[in-house]
Amino acid sequence: MTQPTPLELDVRPIIRRGEEPFGAIMAAADALTPGQALRLLAPFRPAPLFNVMANRGFACRDRQRDDGVWEVVFTPTPGAETETGMAHGSAPGAAFWPDPVRELDLIGLAPPEPMVRILEEVTLLAPGDVLFALLDREPMFLFPELAQRGHEWAGNFARSGEAYRLLVRAGAQDD
Amino acid sequence: MPGKHLSRWTLAWFGSALLFLLAACGLALLGAAGPQDWSRGAGLAVVHLFTLGWLCHVMLGALIQFVPVLAARPLALPMLALPALIAASAGTVDLALGFLFLDGHDALRPLFLIAPFATGLGFTLVALMVAATLLTHATLRLAEVRLVLLALFALAGLWLSGTLMVLTLSGTAMVLDLAVTRPLHILLGVGGWLSLAAFGVSYKLFAMFLLAPEKISRLRDAIFLTAMLGVTILLTALLLLLTERSTAWAMGVTLGLIPVIALLYLSEITRIWQSRRRAAPEGNMLWSRVALAFLGLAVLLALPGWFIGGVWAEAAIFLALVGWLSTLTLAQMVKIVSFLTWIQIFAPRIGRRPVPLVQKLSNAQAVAFCLALWSAGAVTGCVALLLASSAGFRLAVALLTLAALGLVRELIAIRHLSHLAAQERPATLPHLILPLTQPLQPVEFRS
Repeated sequence: MTQPTPLELDVRPIIRRGEEPFGAIMAAADALTPGQALRLLAPFRPAPLFNVMANRGFACRDRQRDDGVWEVVFTPTPGAETETGMAHGSAPGAAFWPDPVRELDLIGLAPPEPMVRILEEVTLLAPGDVLFALLDREPMFLFPELAQRGHEWAGNFARSGEAYRLLVRAGAQDD
Repeated sequence: MPGKHLSRWTLAWFGSALLFLLAACGLALLGAAGPQDWSRGAGLAVVHLFTLGWLCHVMLGALIQFVPVLAARPLALPMLALPALIAASAGTVDLALGFLFLDGHDALRPLFLIAPFATGLGFTLVALMVAATLLTHATLRLAEVRLVLLALFALAGLWLSGTLMVLTLSGTAMVLDLAVTRPLHILLGVGGWLSLAAFGVSYKLFAMFLLAPEKISRLRDAIFLTAMLGVTILLTALLLLLTERSTAWAMGVTLGLIPVIALLYLSEITRIWQSRRRAAPEGNMLWSRVALAFLGLAVLLALPGWFIGGVWAEAAIFLALVGWLSTLTLAQMVKIVSFLTWIQIFAPRIGRRPVPLVQKLSNAQAVAFCLALWSAGAVTGCVALLLASSAGFRLAVALLTLAALGLVRELIAIRHLSHLAAQERPATLPHLILPLTQPLQPVEFRS
């Protein structure tokens, strides 16, 4: 089977502008088609990213080119795809996360209140702790914010379609 | 790009649309258009500043923002948003100026001829983004997604019929019977493109603001199938027109379908409204109900409009454009701009410092006053057209202009966070219309 062409993301212009490239990298990772790799070009070796991407089911291979630029290829690990029935962007392996230490019933709250409650609660969690939330709908604007802060999530609609179930695992830091 | 679901150029689309709205209102106030006076170049310029400049721009901008929400995936080809906006805006200005060629300004003829190319380019770029985002196996199952795609087909027909009329009016190529083409063009624009796109977006938007459960609905499938029949007939009629065959049957059938589609849509919205979990809907939803009432009224007027024509047709079209589509858009725009501004500024601060409620970004009373003024203008304009009263129509336009100015003022206040206390405002304010980006914080990624 032929592999799709890797998606290339050059973060050097973003860094040159003095901006933070993490969000762009997460957005690019979300936009990959199944099986597609992400080729990242950076002015330095982006070591902190390796762990984040490994948690999302990517193996990484890096090398420094002759011109000094670091080229990192993140390849999706076979078998690490998101569990069937989980929403696009969900972390793989959420089934093996520990039991939630906090449960939130956010049914009936108008947007963006559910997002406020979840982010406030996640900030209080220890790294690795899991939060469960029940919502009216898929919190589309929350996901990029969770990724930006280094947290992982997995979610889907309950079978009735009337509620959305969300697990969030706190990342290493959220200052 | 943080906030991958924020389309960066949405506010630029909205800003451009509002400028065209103010231009249309201002020119109408100066007497460029009035009852039974729509075939002059100046009158057509006003109509197209309103329809193409205001309503099409706002709908295209809204689609770019909401298509990712409809499909639950990031926007495809986001880099096309700015070129599309530039092309569509240039096309609108070209067309408005080009219509003045009909009033004897021969030097403007080249602009008239360029306009279809510029608008066509803008429409194509947006259609590419929307279709590339929506066309997946998973999302095509949703009736609202199919409805938006159907609206794009109507947009293509709208553009084609408009282009043929420009070629005819400018004496460039073929000669079409304008009396037959014009109703097709209007139906494709008002009933096909604008209303169907508004239907598709409103299902999701209403459910979101009313906290109504998302359910697979047979009614939506019925609306889609009936609308597909209508759009197919209109597009077929357009092709028949090119072969100089009769299209009267097509108009008759489509006008028969319109009350059915409207009734089905209003039933579906009633179902969403009744299943809401939110006890007290906010102003944007209450004023959307007024827009829905205007939709019903416009459909009722469309029937005598077809059989008798004249003032009835004028009133029906006016009520659909100004009452139904514009009231809905203006009511939702205030909420959407508040929400996007809040996400842009305050989402990164949640959990790190207190954040204000979204509702605090706008002045609900001022917004309600402006929307009441707009609705009064819509009713006054409709009555004035039925009575063929120029003075009444001028009064209506004055009300609409005041309402639009008030809403623009309120939208600027929202973007500038003017209603917040000084200590709640960030040091740097977001730009009025330039790209939506969030202040970035260093997280995880350091050398």
